[in-house]
Amino acid sequence: MTGPAFDTPVPPAAADALVASGIEVAFGGIKALAGVGATVVPGRIVGLIGRNGSGKSTLFNCMTGFVRPGAGRVTLGGADITGLPAERVVRAGIARTFQTPRIAEGADVRTAVLCGFFNSAKTSFMGSVAGFGAARREERRLREEADAVLEGLGLADLRHTEVRRLSMGLVRMVDVARCIASGARFILLDEPAAGLTQAEQETLSRQIRDVAARGVGILLVEHNFALVRSLCETVVVLETGRVLCEGAPETVARDPRVLRSYLGAVGESDEQGEAAA
Amino acid sequence: MTFWANHRNTLIAIAAVLIAAPFVASRPVWLDSAVILGVYALLALSVGISYGQAGILTMSQGAFASVGAYAAALCSARWGWPPFTDLVLAMLLPAVLAYGVGRVVTRLSPLATALATLALGSVISIYIRHADDLTGGYVGFAGIPAIGFIDTPLEYAVLAWLLVIAVVYGYENLMRSAHGRALNVLQQDQARARADGIDVARSMSAAFALSAAIAGIAGWLYAHYVSVLSPESLDTNISVTALLMAVVGGAGYVLGPIIGTVLFDTLTRLLPAAELQGLFYGLALVVILLVARTGLMGLGEQLIGAARSGLGRRAAPAAGLPARAAS
Repeated sequence: MTGPAFDTPVPPAAADALVASGIEVAFGGIKALAGVGATVVPGRIVGLIGRNGSGKSTLFNCMTGFVRPGAGRVTLGGADITGLPAERVVRAGIARTFQTPRIAEGADVRTAVLCGFFNSAKTSFMGSVAGFGAARREERRLREEADAVLEGLGLADLRHTEVRRLSMGLVRMVDVARCIASGARFILLDEPAAGLTQAEQETLSRQIRDVAARGVGILLVEHNFALVRSLCETVVVLETGRVLCEGAPETVARDPRVLRSYLGAVGESDEQGEAAA
Repeated sequence: MTFWANHRNTLIAIAAVLIAAPFVASRPVWLDSAVILGVYALLALSVGISYGQAGILTMSQGAFASVGAYAAALCSARWGWPPFTDLVLAMLLPAVLAYGVGRVVTRLSPLATALATLALGSVISIYIRHADDLTGGYVGFAGIPAIGFIDTPLEYAVLAWLLVIAVVYGYENLMRSAHGRALNVLQQDQARARADGIDVARSMSAAFALSAAIAGIAGWLYAHYVSVLSPESLDTNISVTALLMAVVGGAGYVLGPIIGTVLFDTLTRLLPAAELQGLFYGLALVVILLVARTGLMGLGEQLIGAARSGLGRRAAPAAGLPARAAS
């Protein structure tokens, strides 16, 4: 087989897609990415997998404005957003979570979600200081909207709970709520299942599926292949800065190169087993 | 009820001023101190917003105050502007200066930003010394008129503390808005702030500009009250003193800087010699950094937290030690 395999048809709503193509990034002399790409479509979940150092985090950071690619393009609905600073990428409708959730521990859940509304707040800095009626009405509206977001994710009961008292799974959901609060049409999740129990992972995948069902495109960077398999329609596999293969999880899981590279030990031992037999 | 919940610090400040007022008003000397204390409280509050909320360790508040003071002097004494109109310029000028400088220096590391504010203060002070035609140079400026009908120390003291309360009110409004939350986030974690869509340099500069405007108010009040100005009136020493007051009281808390101001003033009065002030200030800073990095307010909050968990129930909120506004 030559080149990546495209088993799934081109998605119908590609016009509003978030597309990265030909992305190249070099750190010093080392090429972290050598011409890779990924496409996320509204309402669909795309998985991005690969071993440590394969470049998946770098691609993720390029698509969210945290790393500026040396070459290649990131477009959103056709508009070029390559190299925009992260805060403007968020304003364009692409939000991200962090592998280690970065939420002030002392804050309560609603405050954490309220922070996500920064872009939809219209009151100016000095207007906020003056605190006239319009500013107070806006603050009330933001609180109601934050409660609505929490309601939608089934977190309404936790809104006055301090973030430090939550389990890791719930903290990750608060992070997702914060992305939704920012009005994101695309949410990029950085290893959301890391450190989660089996039960928490199941809850999280159900919630991720719900979010996607509302028309949000999701890119999932994940180590846990079982989770990727259960959630994603398309998977992109990276190895040493290149796309190793791309396709439906079932196809990818059978690809011998993926078995050798990503699924590592399991794949090799299976092959050895087959060879011995 | 909602006002109490949203403006706890403002109400505590009003109550404290009302309680202190009869005692202060009974002695003319104290009235004079109350005005100067108000000027310092405004400066310390300006540090609270800049350092406590935006994370800019500022050493230029004295310089911003002197810009406000000279603006007041020029507008009222030389150009004959009506009372209070010069306050607009006294706030706007330092704010514009701070915003412009902030946009450039907030990209730097926190330490480099602090040094940049120190340099900015020096540049302003050198300019004031050398712009003889405008500021009177080394000789200074005399005969700054009173603010309209406000003439006696009592009236100045009332004005000073009304301004302090107004600043506390605005500060609380800010911290309960999206912009205040943005400051909290970016101070803890700039990457997180960017992921929320916050333009870090812009938010920090806006807070720095607000802080400079408040320092400008302090300078405006000082100029009209004292009626003479010289380059030494509001110099880097004042910047450092205001910084110490804010840090000792608790820069991250709305009322922390005011508590620090009152404490420093009281202790300075108890000291036998003025020469010991520097020693005392340095000692106070070292002790507070060792014992309570979040200042007296932070220490109080920790003690209350410990007492509450010790009692196993919610204790009644103690006056003077309100919950941290910026969580």
